[in-house]
Amino acid sequence: AILTLGHLYQTHSLLGGNTRCRAMLQSFSILLKSYTPPPSSRDFRHDVDHALLKPAFQYWTTLCRPHSVSMGNAFSFLKLAVANLDRDLAWAEARELLLESMEAYVTERIEYAGKAISRHAGSKIQDSGDVILVFGKSEVVNRLLLDAALVDKKKFRVIVVDARPLLEGRDTLQILSRAGISCTYVLLNALSYLMMREVTKVFLGASALMSNGSVLSRIGTACVALLANSNHIPVLVGCETYKICNRVQLESITGNELGDADEVACADCARINPSNRWGGFMSGAEDEKKETDVLTDWKQQENLKLLNLMYDLTPSDFVTGIVTEVGILPPTSVAVLLREMSPQENNESAFKGTD
Amino acid sequence: MKPQEGERERDQDEQQQEEREEEQQYEQALHPVIADLCYHLSRTPSLASSSRNEGDAAQDHRPSSDAGADADAKNAAPRSKRPGLPLPVAAIRVLLDVIRRSRAETMMGLQADLRDASDVMIAFAKRGGPVPIAATTSAAPSTKYLLANRSHIALSSSCELFLNHVTRSSSHLETATPHFQSQLLERGTRFVEFSLSSRDRISSVASPFVREGTTVLTHGRSKVVEAVLLRAARVEKKRFNVIVLEGRPDAGGAKTAKAYDEAGIPTAVVLDAAMGYVMEKVKVDMVLVGAEGVVENGGVVNKMGTFALGVLAKELGVPFYVAAESYKFTRLYPLNNADLPEMGKLDGGGLAFLDTLSWSVNSSSGSKGGQGKEEKKTEAGEDGSLNACADLSSYVVNLSPSVSVGNPPCDFTPAKYITLLFTDLGVLTPSAVSDELIRLYQ
Repeated sequence: AILTLGHLYQTHSLLGGNTRCRAMLQSFSILLKSYTPPPSSRDFRHDVDHALLKPAFQYWTTLCRPHSVSMGNAFSFLKLAVANLDRDLAWAEARELLLESMEAYVTERIEYAGKAISRHAGSKIQDSGDVILVFGKSEVVNRLLLDAALVDKKKFRVIVVDARPLLEGRDTLQILSRAGISCTYVLLNALSYLMMREVTKVFLGASALMSNGSVLSRIGTACVALLANSNHIPVLVGCETYKICNRVQLESITGNELGDADEVACADCARINPSNRWGGFMSGAEDEKKETDVLTDWKQQENLKLLNLMYDLTPSDFVTGIVTEVGILPPTSVAVLLREMSPQENNESAFKGTD
Repeated sequence: MKPQEGERERDQDEQQQEEREEEQQYEQALHPVIADLCYHLSRTPSLASSSRNEGDAAQDHRPSSDAGADADAKNAAPRSKRPGLPLPVAAIRVLLDVIRRSRAETMMGLQADLRDASDVMIAFAKRGGPVPIAATTSAAPSTKYLLANRSHIALSSSCELFLNHVTRSSSHLETATPHFQSQLLERGTRFVEFSLSSRDRISSVASPFVREGTTVLTHGRSKVVEAVLLRAARVEKKRFNVIVLEGRPDAGGAKTAKAYDEAGIPTAVVLDAAMGYVMEKVKVDMVLVGAEGVVENGGVVNKMGTFALGVLAKELGVPFYVAAESYKFTRLYPLNNADLPEMGKLDGGGLAFLDTLSWSVNSSSGSKGGQGKEEKKTEAGEDGSLNACADLSSYVVNLSPSVSVGNPPCDFTPAKYITLLFTDLGVLTPSAVSDELIRLYQ
């Protein structure tokens, strides 16, 4: 299970904070179910931690893909749950408790939080006439838009902005248009034109919230927020509280993740000579030859490096409000949330089942 | 208590009459709470556009409500003698009465009672809060509006906060009914006392900011701002100037100018539109306004014109201060001015600004010369009757109905234009408001 997940992470098949977190917890469940601590162990908590959780997490993080903040927080939660277990419990019981608490974590902090976020953000969408801009693919944003359209029956248009190389916006487009929301799809280059003309609100997703209110999200998000801000368009970021990170990051490059550089190089639509573009359509055989892009031999170039960053940081000034399950908050209040949450985190017991 | 039919003529007369009848039925159905509210308010002059006829309102009440409220009227009397009991505080008193009268056995039941009462009050206020006044001095009986040209935000936030505060520690309270009722009453009364004394606390934290020899610009009529400036002048004996924006359509500014003048502060009244000019010309040192409500992102909802004033102050580098009590903190989150919730009846009291003559350069007081401007004729602002001065009738422009007239009472000033907020919880930066809110609504 660990290897499968690792592979999925590495090949970017699983994208998105919530998805990766759920997958991680799921594979931990599978592991726990099949694990028995060695009979000679004095403290199985120690074993579980060292033999099971840590190596798995390390494998994923170091060899496959650096963990997202959501995964990190979930993992800390899991370790805390293990540490809070009673020493004298039988392994079977302890396992049950752990599985239950993982379930509860996913249900409360991800699912219910998503519902609450839809409700709060939905109150900001007007009954008709809004033109909402979204970027890339965010589970929270998709959910809130679907709820607003299908449940609250509000009429609005969506503009989906997408960016290479991941082009996640195509999924968003599919999801939203299947639900009957009228959508427009553009690439990031067209952004300034749209902002000035039509957009009334911007909804963005987040991978993590820093404690100074900055938002870590898919690369390109900061551009969208910047442009919206300069056109006086409100920007709402939807983010569950479990993604709050007590780090403060000052700019985008530090700690950022590098994606596969080849993805930047290779593009489906690039041609060597623009004039040959239409020529390519006429004869399929010649297509193969013309596939060679400008950048295919970038590795041989000495002075050329391709940079494919995965995340960027949106400063808190550009964010009008952050929608969490506790309500809509100004970005400066993220630290307050962290403070309110942490005493709870310590008291949060894995004994929910025995209460 | 039947609302009178005879109000001043308007274009939509019939529609108005229908609405009146609806209100009449509504009021009669849910009378006790509203009666209580009016009773508490009538103990002191209310904050609404200042008709001084409140004494009459008290006579209109049914005897039962009087008897019921008598018990705490004695407690309330010393306090309520103090002028200017704010509407939100009166509302909290009403809720206290609800607790006393409630026959609920459980906390949930009590919460439901309280919530019902506050919903009634808020709905009433949203309709402008028409309170019928028996015909006394004026020839035709009229309705006084509690919330003429203001918003109901403070009312709803104070009810919400009270509810939260009183029922907060319900989990550890015994369910023995009489005991917890008295505990709740105690908490509630403390809350009321805290709210009543908030103005004093605000003026004591804020008056140091008014420095000797400075010029303060203010907008609209806020009792809190008045308290601050009067304290700086009287108690701290500072000398400073005040510039007041006249404050259409209810001439709030002109009314406060009177108060400042009586305290001996050199006051000037200018047009609302002159805010930019005067800020540069007279080198204003600070802007101080009140608030209808303070929202979660640290912005404020206040009288129309505050937004412009805020932007202007920021541009010209003038600090912009807001003085507000903590019961005005609300969990609203307007994204921008387009996102403000509906303010209810926009021109409660018939303050169509076309008719409003907020000034009367009254020839009878011409002996005071320039001072005539500051002498505000209260009737003129309120029902637009031109009884104040016949001179200006030739200047009134009558527009055809095809011209739409908009007169929203309040606008939203985002947090980035506000330097500091003076509250009874201390001096806060706009970003600290959310922190306080999270704590208040915990």
